[in-house]
Amino acid sequence: MKSKRKESNLEVVRSVYTSKIISSHRDLVALVFYGTEQSKNPRNSFKYVYVYHDLDEPGAKRVQEVDALRGEKGARLAAETMGSGETSLGDALWCCANLYSDIKLRLSHKRLMIFTCRDEPHRGDSAKDRQARTKASDLKETGVIIDLMHLMKPGGFDVAPFFRDIVSQPEDESELGLHLEPCDKLEDLQKRVRAKEQKKRAMARLNLCLGEGINVAVGIYATAVTARKPAAIRLYRETNEPVRSKTRTFHMQTGSLLLPSEIKKAQTYGKKQIVMERDEVDSIKKFQDPGLYLIGFKPMEKLKTHHHIRPAVFLYPEEGEVKGSACLFSALLMKCSERNVFALCRCVSRRNYPPRFVALVPQREEVDEGKVQFTPPGFNVIYLPYADDLRTLDPPQCPSASQIQVDKMKEIVSKLRFKYRSEAFENPVIQQHYRNLEALALDMMAPEDTEDLIMPKVDQINHRLGPLAEEFKDLVYPAGYNPESKSVAKRKTGVAEKKPKAEVPEDELRAHVQNGTLGKLTVPVLKEACKQFGVRTTGTKKQELIDALTTRLAA
Amino acid sequence: SSALVLCMDVGFSMSNSAPGEEPPFELAKKVIQKFVQRQVFAENKDELALVLFGTDSTKNPLDRDGQYQNITVHRHLMIPDFELLEEIENQVHPESQQADWMDALVVCMDLLQTETKGKKFDRLNVALLTDLSTQANQDHLDVIIENLKQAGITLQFFLPFPAEDDEEGGGDSDRRGPGHPGTGKGLSREQKESLDLVKHVMLSLDEEDGLDQVYTFRDAIEQLCMFKRIERRPMAWPCQLTIGSCLSIRIVGYKAVTEERLKKMWVTVDAQSNQKEDVKRETVYCLDDDNETEVKKDDTIQGFRYGSDIVPFSKVDQDQMKYKHDGKCFAVLGFTKQNLVRRHQFMGSQVVKMFAPKDDEHAGVALSALIRALDELQMVAIVRYAYDRRSNPQVGAAFPCVKQDYECLMYVQLPFMEDLRQFTFPSLENNKKLSPSDTQLSAVDSLIDSMMLVQKDDDDADQKDIFKVHHIPNPAFQRHFQCLHHRAVNPGTPLPPMEPWLKAALERPDVISERCQAPLEEIKRKFPLIEVEKKKKLKTSAQIFGKDAEEPDAKKAKGDEEEDYNLADIAEGSVTSVGSVDPARDFRTLIKLKSLPFGEVCQQLTHRIEQLLSNKNTHYYMKSITCIQAFREQSVKLGNADLYNSYLQSLKRSIPNRRLEVFWDLLVQDAITLISKDEVEGSTVSKNEANQFLVVEEKKEEAAVPSAEDTGDVDDLLDMM
Repeated sequence: MKSKRKESNLEVVRSVYTSKIISSHRDLVALVFYGTEQSKNPRNSFKYVYVYHDLDEPGAKRVQEVDALRGEKGARLAAETMGSGETSLGDALWCCANLYSDIKLRLSHKRLMIFTCRDEPHRGDSAKDRQARTKASDLKETGVIIDLMHLMKPGGFDVAPFFRDIVSQPEDESELGLHLEPCDKLEDLQKRVRAKEQKKRAMARLNLCLGEGINVAVGIYATAVTARKPAAIRLYRETNEPVRSKTRTFHMQTGSLLLPSEIKKAQTYGKKQIVMERDEVDSIKKFQDPGLYLIGFKPMEKLKTHHHIRPAVFLYPEEGEVKGSACLFSALLMKCSERNVFALCRCVSRRNYPPRFVALVPQREEVDEGKVQFTPPGFNVIYLPYADDLRTLDPPQCPSASQIQVDKMKEIVSKLRFKYRSEAFENPVIQQHYRNLEALALDMMAPEDTEDLIMPKVDQINHRLGPLAEEFKDLVYPAGYNPESKSVAKRKTGVAEKKPKAEVPEDELRAHVQNGTLGKLTVPVLKEACKQFGVRTTGTKKQELIDALTTRLAA
Repeated sequence: SSALVLCMDVGFSMSNSAPGEEPPFELAKKVIQKFVQRQVFAENKDELALVLFGTDSTKNPLDRDGQYQNITVHRHLMIPDFELLEEIENQVHPESQQADWMDALVVCMDLLQTETKGKKFDRLNVALLTDLSTQANQDHLDVIIENLKQAGITLQFFLPFPAEDDEEGGGDSDRRGPGHPGTGKGLSREQKESLDLVKHVMLSLDEEDGLDQVYTFRDAIEQLCMFKRIERRPMAWPCQLTIGSCLSIRIVGYKAVTEERLKKMWVTVDAQSNQKEDVKRETVYCLDDDNETEVKKDDTIQGFRYGSDIVPFSKVDQDQMKYKHDGKCFAVLGFTKQNLVRRHQFMGSQVVKMFAPKDDEHAGVALSALIRALDELQMVAIVRYAYDRRSNPQVGAAFPCVKQDYECLMYVQLPFMEDLRQFTFPSLENNKKLSPSDTQLSAVDSLIDSMMLVQKDDDDADQKDIFKVHHIPNPAFQRHFQCLHHRAVNPGTPLPPMEPWLKAALERPDVISERCQAPLEEIKRKFPLIEVEKKKKLKTSAQIFGKDAEEPDAKKAKGDEEEDYNLADIAEGSVTSVGSVDPARDFRTLIKLKSLPFGEVCQQLTHRIEQLLSNKNTHYYMKSITCIQAFREQSVKLGNADLYNSYLQSLKRSIPNRRLEVFWDLLVQDAITLISKDEVEGSTVSKNEANQFLVVEEKKEEAAVPSAEDTGDVDDLLDMM
């Protein structure tokens, strides 16, 4: 990816850099200025072209170097190092072509962005225009996509005379595929997206088996996965170089490394230790080979909202594995969708994974006005709970609200309506982390502010509700009832009644160990007992405490 | 915790059965075994007693004046253990007497009352397993019912036949339709009378749903219904639902749906001593230099990648700068149409149900108003949810749920922008080559018709679901406990095969299998499916690294030159051991030099290979392979195959545990196998074996699946920190 031309474009260039660093830092980026007085490029074969950054993975240093060119001081620095000279877009493009060809790695896609505010860069020099066009088409032939990021200029930026032949045309559109409105593309770039880019990759390729010998090859894709902060890397304090971790298993007495064959797995219940070979532990989990097996179909209303145990995945045919898959898949999709049914399947997603039942919910393709797909065609795979996954609750017996009360609440609900979009909420935890990292990497005084988008806009809500909140409260709450105070009062008494530390006499403990009934004691009691016997435990889970105590007292 | 009495009829009529059917006694015993097994492994505080009736002898505290005869308290109330399992296996047999089940019930009640004194139990339950073939004494029926109510003892009946006829669509017993032994066959007069009595008792205890607690043996085995009554209830999460700053409603949340996992983990023990203390696992940190210099953990700090840089960012700083919030929260951000919240975008691993607190009817009314308003408007609340101060806040939807006997809000987590992956896929419908013809579509249509898992009842508008997934207990648990139980009781013997009924419960129902036979054949005819011949998709290591496949051969030709060059190095004394820069070259040089014994040089080389392999990176794999190639080539040259062969064999064994499948594939693709007799006379490996060595593994090979399940399932909000 390349960018050109300085001036106020620098801010956009900076945001391209900082976005890239977070979304996909493995991408190579170069920054090339043209129309400079000084020249700096490989072999120095081009005049007035200054390669400020060669194609490489971007880092903090580059962002700081771009920053150095900004502002008054930056302008002076730019004038000193590069100056300003003649413009030849053709040479600049040629230089970029060389940058690409100097890279030995195979690049999956190449993109070149031209930042400028001049619609006639060569001021009518037709020879230069022609040279630029030729070079542009050469680049496009080698798979480079050329984008124009033009700024507003007085009198408007006219793309047509020169740049329409330079930039890449969108594949499917016959119309002039240029952004005649300069702002929106730039704004997109300026709006920094701090989210890691994910490559589309099947998590697994399986067969969807309808019956004996009818196997449709499908790929499973994760379309929504809880994003986490990127993992920390361990560094050596002295040099800040990364260290590698090695985990070894060895014998306590002999100190020799243990081979996998010298290890077994065990669980202890009461006083009984149950030992299994490692492969036995795996084989217990095996029911069938991986795959999806069709059980039957059910109407959509049989899929309950509350039957949710993990995020759904997405299914799409793999014509490359079994020819004909896409056709049968497509027929199933159309018919399920038309008849409003889902397919119930038994699913073994990986080797040695126990089976789960899943609902394959049809999803037809949806495209927007620009014929851009926003919902892909395929089945959403909804994981269904087993009996064990549903917990029995004792719902309290409460009186229902009267219609007047319900209607008042309806008014409140209507006042606070909005159109939910799943991509509207950023995760404040991750956003803050990235901003912190940015601040540290770029030696900023303080991290940029994070807007917490999942914070209720209390003032707005209050304002919109106006008197409705009070009216509703008058309808449902008696005078003097305060929903907030009650729980506070409760907590206070809770503190006052805090139980004295529980201790269990030693012989009673030993009896529990003997009978394997330690489980009857509560966690605080167990913790106390651990302290009492000087048992050091790292865990806080009940089972860990019990195990630790059992080991100590049984010895 | 709960106290439960299992009260089982072992009288002679329990052994009667129609030919080809399992006698009720065996089924009832299985129910008890399965249940006790799970209780033993659950290791909770629930206590259990076992009362048998119809026994030849009499042993119970109420045994006086010829009353309460042939009833035996086999086991008093205590935590179930392996002994109980063994006793059930070996000591519970069909006996030859009959006893009054009502008397047995009284013995159970007495037992619960005397043996729970001084202990605290949340739930008391009696489970009666009988065929009801004795006449029951009804004299004190009212007293008994009154006592049950007062003591808060719940009842469950397990019978060989359904309590209600199928037309009435009895409760939970509708899963597999026909197949209950005893259905349709006439019950005896005693059984009919007793059944009426059972119904009377159950309905007196619970007017509405009393009969839901009468099960058949078969349902009980498949669904483990006994747990329903004694299950522990999830933790309450009290909070306030807020709408702006002026309106709040007290609520209590309970985790209602979440993936249940096995509580106990496997620990690693030494294979010889079976002691976990003998095994120590240790993680060390080392610099990425030639000597792999170890550094102490305290001398390391953490950092994060920022593009090509790694920024040091200590834990302390991170904690100080991280996002902080006010803690526990359930705040409405706004309301939206239900259909804008897509089912497949549900995140997290749970559904939390929100009720009003038990003692606060004002909160109940306020919450009810909200639930009903949302329900009538077909809307949901979008909320900010934070479990507590330490856990990360979420955005989620609160759905209204209006049931006959309760109302609640159901909270589900929704995605953040960062979680979504907007993938696009080629269109299916607009592709002429792929789109199905009308006859193909109608074949799919009739397949769907034949495989509908719901049946319309004739007189009922309701559709009956014949395959309810949420009624099936997780088969993985069942299998796990079966194997643990077996190994505990019979150590040293192989694990048992899976129980047939367990497998059967996961299959397509027979009705469906029969019905879909013809439509499936039609599908087969209409849709040709051809498995694509897998062109060797796997690349050789050389291809991955952008070299031509020919290159290694070309190199071989130059081999001698290289060695000469290496000799020059030796002259300078530069190679004294196998270094990490070019271990294969060092190895060759040292062999040539003969300064060290062959065995030692090989050991140095394998040490380097192991180091390289611990990196899990294709570059290092490649380097390892050149080492192994050198190892092989020199071994053949010197006619010593043993060291190489044994190393390669042990390497192969360790592949699965070290997750080196990718590396192994490269090795297979490069066809680096054992040294056979044909190559080195001393080798114990035949040519065939050498070839087989790689082939076997190839068959087992499966598409490498990146971790899908481990991506983000957390069991508890607390774990999300």
